[in-house]
Amino acid sequence: MIEVKNVTKTYGKKHSTFKALDDVSFSIPEGASVAIVGKSGSGKSTLMHAMSGLDRPESGEVIIDGTNILKLKSKAVDRFRSEKIGFIFQAFFVQANETCYDNVALPLEIARVSGTARKAQIVDALNIVELGDKVRQKARNLSGGQKQRLAIARAIVNKPSIIFADEPTGNLDSTTGEKVEDLLFGLNKQNGSTLIIVTHDADLASKCDMQIYVKDGKIDRIEGEQAAPVEEPEEVVVEKGPQDSREDSRHLKGVSRIGGDKESEEEE
Amino acid sequence: MKTTDIIRRAARSLANAKARTILTSLAIGVGAFTITVSLAAGQGAREYANNLINSNVNPQSLFVVADESIVGGGGLQSSIRVYDPDTTTTQGITVKQMTQEDIDMLADRDDLTNVMPIYQPSVQFMTFGDSTTRFVADVSTYNASIISGVAYGNVPPQGEAIAADEVVIPESYVQTLIDNKVIKNGSELVGKKVVMTAVQATASPTPEQIQAAFATGGETAVQSLLQPKTQTFSFKVRAVSAKSAEALTSTMSVQIAPDAARAISEFTTQGTPQYQKYFGATAIVKDGIDPVTVKESLAKDNLYAQTAQDLQGVVFTVVNTLQGIVLGFGVIALIASVFGIINTQYISVLERTREIGLMKALGMRGKSVSRLFQFEAAWIGFLGGIIGAGIAIVVGLLANPWITEMLGLSKGTSLLIFQPIPIAIMIIALIIIAMLAGWFPARKAAKLDPIEALRTE
Ligand SMILES: Nc1ncnc2c1ncn2[C@@H]1O[C@H](COP(=O)(O)OP(=O)(O)OP(=O)(O)O)[C@@H](O)[C@H]1O
Ligand SMILES: [Mg+2]
Repeated sequence: MIEVKNVTKTYGKKHSTFKALDDVSFSIPEGASVAIVGKSGSGKSTLMHAMSGLDRPESGEVIIDGTNILKLKSKAVDRFRSEKIGFIFQAFFVQANETCYDNVALPLEIARVSGTARKAQIVDALNIVELGDKVRQKARNLSGGQKQRLAIARAIVNKPSIIFADEPTGNLDSTTGEKVEDLLFGLNKQNGSTLIIVTHDADLASKCDMQIYVKDGKIDRIEGEQAAPVEEPEEVVVEKGPQDSREDSRHLKGVSRIGGDKESEEEE
Repeated sequence: MKTTDIIRRAARSLANAKARTILTSLAIGVGAFTITVSLAAGQGAREYANNLINSNVNPQSLFVVADESIVGGGGLQSSIRVYDPDTTTTQGITVKQMTQEDIDMLADRDDLTNVMPIYQPSVQFMTFGDSTTRFVADVSTYNASIISGVAYGNVPPQGEAIAADEVVIPESYVQTLIDNKVIKNGSELVGKKVVMTAVQATASPTPEQIQAAFATGGETAVQSLLQPKTQTFSFKVRAVSAKSAEALTSTMSVQIAPDAARAISEFTTQGTPQYQKYFGATAIVKDGIDPVTVKESLAKDNLYAQTAQDLQGVVFTVVNTLQGIVLGFGVIALIASVFGIINTQYISVLERTREIGLMKALGMRGKSVSRLFQFEAAWIGFLGGIIGAGIAIVVGLLANPWITEMLGLSKGTSLLIFQPIPIAIMIIALIIIAMLAGWFPARKAAKLDPIEALRTE
């Protein structure tokens, strides 16, 4: 159970402040798969950072399993991240010079898991993402999809209770992307870990139990199951038909394939 | 993160930047090389000097002087002071000399034997065999306590002097004597007659002496009184001493027996203030008595002694000073390499910003990130130490026989002695220095904000 209460994150100093998150509140039930959807620059990544303890918004609470992680000391937050959270980043962020094995070993080393326990966990995680035959390969020799699967193996090796994935399929072609999506949802269903995906992709969002739409740092609307009552958004929620959402997704996919944030911001 | 894991990650990331790692290590290696060589040379020189002193000098021997500044302490005097008839001035340095009473006092002591003053037998010229060519050479007293190698003839065993009519000629004279057609080869020299002519210092006679001479012998007697007196001393060559690396003093002078030396020096100084004045004396402390206690008791009588151990100390001081200079160059090279480490590690932090961001996002503590970079620096220090010391040892072991030959040392002598413990200490010191150098970049890495770091392209 993750509860986000009145979180506000402001960037910049006195004269040129910018509210990247403005009084955001919602809650996510345990084991759910959640999509955070919104335009580029709307604050999705900022929200994810706040929820995972990477960032410290100046006000509000993020309560995970009864603890407000924003109140924890930095050492405790680091520990929380290393034990409970798995991260998958849009740009993979695998260590190209390390082997697959050592890439996946990193979270276990950080969590001070003993050497003997480590090996089995790493091989397991690599087998799950079908990289069992690449254990000793350097990460730089992997294809894009393999790198992302390696990143997933690294995110799940520690059996985290929450997995954050920031645009996990953003840099992949649609078939490879689907494979990675299936992998993530499979893990979510099998292990019961909460999956939080930041995405542009409406298709991917629709596969999740719950969709949180972010617009200009505010919650635009929330779809899907709702664990606890949250303040009703001010704007009227208009349900989109499946036709619309497919169109939307095609448009956004095209943008992300051209080359990311800059172009899309200019377009908007 | 566990330290072992951090060390392994640090080693791997260095292995991934091999060229850079090796170049940075080489900079340290230069310092390590210099330091290793200076340690080895210092050790070799000390052991060599030690061997030399132990095999040449009787540990019970003492060198006694009346002037404390000669054996250390106080430095050589040069300022103004009250005139003392027992002093002599050479090249502006005034030295208090020993008198015959001092020598007699030493001879009377029951803890000393073989008390022998240092005579300064100087002769005007010498001739060899039937040749009439006159040669000029230094003459010194045969030192029975120092072994010297022999090229031709023989010398008595250590501790025994040569006879009063015998001389030992250094091998270096042989060529000159052959050139002057005195001999055809060195072995011919043994048994040859040597005649030395000494001249008495001209002591201006007093008017009474002149009057007395005139009264007894007339004008010729006065003439002869004013003429410098000469006397000849005859010897025969017992041995030709060889140049030897083991000989502590490579004597370049003709050596004569103590009695002969006394006769010559007393003749030449007769009637002058130098008569029966000595620069110093040598003596042997009787077995079972510590030379240091004798030295202390002599100091009460205003006589100052140098023991064999003191001599070693003097040699070691010279060796240590030279070693210190070389060591200093090594340290300068190290200081330069410290900046190399700081620079490379800063670049490494910049290059790996995203990696650092990732590790911190995954919950790695800033402290662990900092240690990761410090251990990388430590590895560089370790590698530099191993490379430098390794090259020094290989080069040293290869060069040792060559050095021994060049310096004319005896076979089997090594002037470069590599000892594992000082080298290990040096490598540990290098690791610590490298870690200190890596501290600044490591701190930068530890302070990186993971979100910012992950954002960088
Ligand atoms: N360090 C910062 N300083 C100032 N503004 C920032 C900073 N980080 C983010 N922002 C701003 O906060 C807003 C939200 O950024 P965020 O990265 O959360 O967007 P996003 O929704 O993840 O976009 P995208 O889909 O392109 O990744 C943006 O307008 C961005 O410019
Ligand atoms: Mg983003």
